[in-house]
Amino acid sequence: MFLTDLQQGKKAVITNLGMMNEVVKQRLIHMGLQEGEEICLKCVMPFGGPLMVEVCGQCICLRRKDAACIGVK
Amino acid sequence: MSQIALFGNPNTGKTSLFNNLTGSYEYVGNWSGVTVEKKVGILRHQHIHIVDLPGVYSLHPLSRDEGVATEFLLTESFSAILNIVDASQLKRNLHLTVQLLEFGKPLIIALNMIDVAERRGVKVDVEKISQYVGVPVVPIIARTGKGIDGLVHAVLSTSKQEAQRFFLNYGIEVETAIHRISEQLPTELNLSKRWLALQFLEENQRVHEYLQASVDIGPLLEVRNRVQELIGRPLPQYIHDVREKWIVDVIEKTTIIAPKQPLTITERIDAIVTNKYLGIPIFLLFMYIMFMLTFDWLGSPLADLLDQFFSGPLTDGLSKLLSIVGASPFIKELVLNGIVSGVGGVLVFVPQIFILFFFISFLEDSGYMARVAMVMDRFMEAIGLNGKAFIPMIIGFGCNVPGVMAARTIEQPKERLLTILLLPFMSCSARLPVYALFVGTFFTKHEALVVFLLYVLGIVVALLLAKLFSSTLLKNESSIFVVELPPYRMPQALTLWRSTWDKGKGFVRKAGTFIFAGSVAIWLLTYIGPKGIGVGMDDSFLAAIGGVLAPILAPLGFGTWQAGASLITGFLAKEVVVSTMNIIYHAKNMDALQGLMVHYFTPLSAISFMTFVLLYIPCLATVATIHKETNSRKWTFISISCALCIAYLVSFSIYEGGKLLGFS
Repeated sequence: MFLTDLQQGKKAVITNLGMMNEVVKQRLIHMGLQEGEEICLKCVMPFGGPLMVEVCGQCICLRRKDAACIGVK
Repeated sequence: MSQIALFGNPNTGKTSLFNNLTGSYEYVGNWSGVTVEKKVGILRHQHIHIVDLPGVYSLHPLSRDEGVATEFLLTESFSAILNIVDASQLKRNLHLTVQLLEFGKPLIIALNMIDVAERRGVKVDVEKISQYVGVPVVPIIARTGKGIDGLVHAVLSTSKQEAQRFFLNYGIEVETAIHRISEQLPTELNLSKRWLALQFLEENQRVHEYLQASVDIGPLLEVRNRVQELIGRPLPQYIHDVREKWIVDVIEKTTIIAPKQPLTITERIDAIVTNKYLGIPIFLLFMYIMFMLTFDWLGSPLADLLDQFFSGPLTDGLSKLLSIVGASPFIKELVLNGIVSGVGGVLVFVPQIFILFFFISFLEDSGYMARVAMVMDRFMEAIGLNGKAFIPMIIGFGCNVPGVMAARTIEQPKERLLTILLLPFMSCSARLPVYALFVGTFFTKHEALVVFLLYVLGIVVALLLAKLFSSTLLKNESSIFVVELPPYRMPQALTLWRSTWDKGKGFVRKAGTFIFAGSVAIWLLTYIGPKGIGVGMDDSFLAAIGGVLAPILAPLGFGTWQAGASLITGFLAKEVVVSTMNIIYHAKNMDALQGLMVHYFTPLSAISFMTFVLLYIPCLATVATIHKETNSRKWTFISISCALCIAYLVSFSIYEGGKLLGFS
């Protein structure tokens, strides 16, 4: 499943970043969001807005269309 | 003189440390991308230069500000690296550290935010980590200055040491490739060959270009492709994973992480301010409070007090003093009608501007700024921008120049250019005196509301323009938005004050230089005319110059030479509009000027005039910055001409439309 399928407040492990836009992927990896890490969906902005996730104790905000490319388990 | 470079991830406190080390007061804030240009300072009591660089996650630049750091490594000479590492985010921070260690220069790690880390249950064994990494590690708290003395000591002793010998084995395939590439690099390159080879293998575009300039890149590419095939997956990822493994190992051996703590304050605040439904209303409420305090509740009464002082005791005192020293009537006129009205007319707005800057500083330092970017992203996406562009826009409310600079943190060139182009429509603090003057005259009951609407108008025009550009001239580039949300912290009173003062002092300094000189020049232009010296105002040169514009401005409701002249001079700096009016209308103070304005403006033409001032042209300093940042005459010209056309159109519609609707 994908990050966008996760329920708010729930955790999962990142399994696949392969489908993402290259620049976004690089940024996320720099910030610590990489395969094998645990990710928690903190909140979702309305009207298809961005998502806030927590990885390694760091909050990161990313767009929904990018989150939809992150495979989690 | 030796030079030490400060490297670190974004928002790890590099600039705070820089300020502590050098005793200067550079701009700090709690979001990623505060520093966008390198800054040089001198270590206290020592002959050592310290260079503060924009924060980077790795040495592969993704945005313009990050490019500054890589560029520095490649082209500048320095003796050591001071790597600041956020103890609460060790894993991520150490990736940069590894790359810097491979660079080969002496390195010291300043382990910052040990207090934050401890509160999160992370305890780092400093001795041990220093052993593993092989370089000195000094724990500090940059915000409070704790541990700085120890760091200075370490810096001084390291600069005498030899280069450190860090070695991380990337496995036989990659090591062979590194060896092959190193062999082909010319010996005269001053940089570590291993580092260059590794960065090249990692597909660092900037290093690629650098090597291309001195060697034939073909064989190097061949080596890279071959090792990539051998490994069977993308090299950058492979190298990242090797480093990650080493880092995890180091962390495991040197830190103790307590089990997950209960909800932190940050999480509790975030539950409210980034709430699905409350996020945007809370942001708007914050802005509303800011405007009410600036204009109604606190700012206006203070400005009135200052105005009374300038027009009363100060003018009387100066007038007496000038009589005592026997100044000629010319000098007396120049000082009282030129300088005091011109400079004083602008200085009375100091309290309001400082209140505004105080709020912007609070926004920057608390950590809310990045949340604003998140809350606004959906909206910004709709017009072809991203939420990050909102940060330069808010800074632009203070002054457009740093706003334009702040756009450097935006990754996509298109979005960055767009942000720069629409920034001049953000109503900066220099435009505030103009509004304050007019709303104080014509809209005494709704001061804050009218000004708020002007700010909103600026934003709306900017966004419409962004939409227009992004769907015509600059389409076909996807938009990117990833932002780090830093933990909240209570801004320290001292930092807040410094930050406010730092922004505000520019305004005060402008009053003493630009506006002072401008006032003298303007007054002289009103004093002399084609027919001689000491002519009536209407026969002066200024009237002649402004008169050229008057017929063009007539459809906007202010076709007087006075308005034309003040708008021309307003290009220097927008607050000069007020100085010019003070001088032209011979007003002793704001009340007198407001009394006079009623004869020349109606409420409707006042709105039209304020709108025109809001939009008509970026000030001289902003134009220069736009040119520097876009590096293009074409876009600078587009920015200016766009502003002029839009200002004319909008003011025209407001005035003529208002007349049709029966307003006056």
